[in-house]
Amino acid sequence: MSISSITQRGLLIVAGFALLTTLALAQQVPVPVRAGPPGFSPMDQTKVDKSGQKADLSPHPVSPTVTPVDKLPLDKIKLPSGFKIEVWSSGHPGARTMVMGDKGTMFMGSRTIGRVYAIVDKNGKREVKTLLSGLTQPNGLAFSKGSLYVFAINRVFRYDNIEDNLDKAPEPVELTKAYNLPDTVHHNWKYVAIGPDGKMYVQVGSNCNICETNPGIHGQIRRYNLDGTGQEIVARGIRNTVGFDWHPVTHELWFNDNGRDWAGNGGPEDELNRVPKDMEGASFGFPYCHAMGIPDQDIKRPNPCAGIVMPAALTGPHVAGLGLKFYTGDMFPKKYKNVAFIARHGSWNREQKAGYDVVMAKVSGARATVAPFMEGLLNTEKNEFYGRPAYLFQMKDGSLLVSDENNGAVYRISYDNKNAKQAAR
Amino acid sequence: MILTVARYGRPLALGLAAVWLCAGPVLAQSGPSTEKLALCSACHGEDGNSKMEKIPSLAGQPAFFILNQLFLMREGVRKVEAMAPIVKDLKDEDLDALSKHFAGLPAKRSDETADPELAKKGAKIAQHRRCDSCHQPRLVGKEQMPRLAKQRIDYLSQSLKEFRDATRAGGDTAMSANLAGTSDADLAALAHYCALL
Repeated sequence: MSISSITQRGLLIVAGFALLTTLALAQQVPVPVRAGPPGFSPMDQTKVDKSGQKADLSPHPVSPTVTPVDKLPLDKIKLPSGFKIEVWSSGHPGARTMVMGDKGTMFMGSRTIGRVYAIVDKNGKREVKTLLSGLTQPNGLAFSKGSLYVFAINRVFRYDNIEDNLDKAPEPVELTKAYNLPDTVHHNWKYVAIGPDGKMYVQVGSNCNICETNPGIHGQIRRYNLDGTGQEIVARGIRNTVGFDWHPVTHELWFNDNGRDWAGNGGPEDELNRVPKDMEGASFGFPYCHAMGIPDQDIKRPNPCAGIVMPAALTGPHVAGLGLKFYTGDMFPKKYKNVAFIARHGSWNREQKAGYDVVMAKVSGARATVAPFMEGLLNTEKNEFYGRPAYLFQMKDGSLLVSDENNGAVYRISYDNKNAKQAAR
Repeated sequence: MILTVARYGRPLALGLAAVWLCAGPVLAQSGPSTEKLALCSACHGEDGNSKMEKIPSLAGQPAFFILNQLFLMREGVRKVEAMAPIVKDLKDEDLDALSKHFAGLPAKRSDETADPELAKKGAKIAQHRRCDSCHQPRLVGKEQMPRLAKQRIDYLSQSLKEFRDATRAGGDTAMSANLAGTSDADLAALAHYCALL
């Protein structure tokens, strides 16, 4: 082959490339198919037909409009003797997470409605302001040193000096880049909390009902310095945790994890997990191993439960434990001290509905036992519900607030020894 | 309105712009819902079945679905440029009345040409992805989940891509998970299937 022919061929190749490039540019550049993590299938492996469940089960809607105070289901709620429940605030549709500022402002996060509310106490009555709106599921809230941290889906904002600017929120400092969260959206409405170590703990959910996830990216609880630096993985193999807290004595992290759907009405049950101090970064089983060692029916591998940290307790099938709060107050009787309250949002992927209540988990070492606390929002005979407890907040006086996402309200549970004595007579 | 004209770039849109301009002041006075309806009908069709490219049909949609979407657009969660000025001043009562109106209208197929072969392929994908578990048998929708049956092909193809790629602000994240890994061609097949239901 002569030099000139090589050159000619080279030119032809170059021309060919140029032509191809021009053609490619002339066409609209296609959006690439959202790929899963490298080496993992992005496909959800749910097999509804194998579940044995009625195929028309579907998530419940959340009303964006206000529920009037006289329509709140307070009269339905049942509590142990001596406890009392009242409406603390209402008129804030989509009510979910609660954190309090140093000056007493209650900040409230939501999902679909995209709002963050500020609730302030005015002469014993609560005044509700819509502080932020138009966000994509701002469920993750934290407060530190005068600043409100807002985690929407994979976006992070910090509002400084917020309590002095409740009428008009200041321009936020965006921390999205620093936190570097993956761009998948499902099960990634955030739950966050600042730990005893002063770090920001952030959930990164699994982007599916049941699929293979990259354990280095998805299905985790991470922690960061508040500015988004210093990322560490605290726990892996998690499907979707949207509630965690630290044990008041051991300071270990405890978290809820919602079990997969479409594997039967009976479960696998949701989990209450504990991250043992010497096992940070351990795996909790998703997607291969569920509950107390149930291998997944759609994604299989040998020894699916080997090396997995088992739950401290099972919290019920499809019940969706969201808020988790260890009780440290003095108002409730002694037996409630250090008990973990869990708000069970209530099932959708279950023919006979379950949850829609607040339960308590009594911790003993690495294990816990679950017992009822606040009931009555589920009518098992009619298979219908009247409210959906989402998150919990312990007030300074020791009373417990429960947000009801279904009715856009917050209830206050208090205890009075006199009430108990009266009830006993 | 210039935006709308530029976006749809057809003489029809100019006509619609005129309708909008006339209807605008009426809306501000919050007149009877018939005047508000005229505003909706201009794009979404007199009978709620859209004849306009990439504009969704509203006829036969679950009332809660319409209310919720109008609410989210008014709130600025779901961002649709052309809708923003229209929903801005609607009150909750308006959202409710409009939702109920469109929910009560019968859904009709659009005048787009649906490919029966593609539809057959789409039926298999719909079966595999179990669209019917949320959108109900025959994909007629329920509460917050829209009716897909008889929806416009061009609108649905685009929406499905937006859901898959998670580019639709305010969209249900479960849709992104359910469509992960589905190709553009498969999404088009799904749209053809829905159109013929």
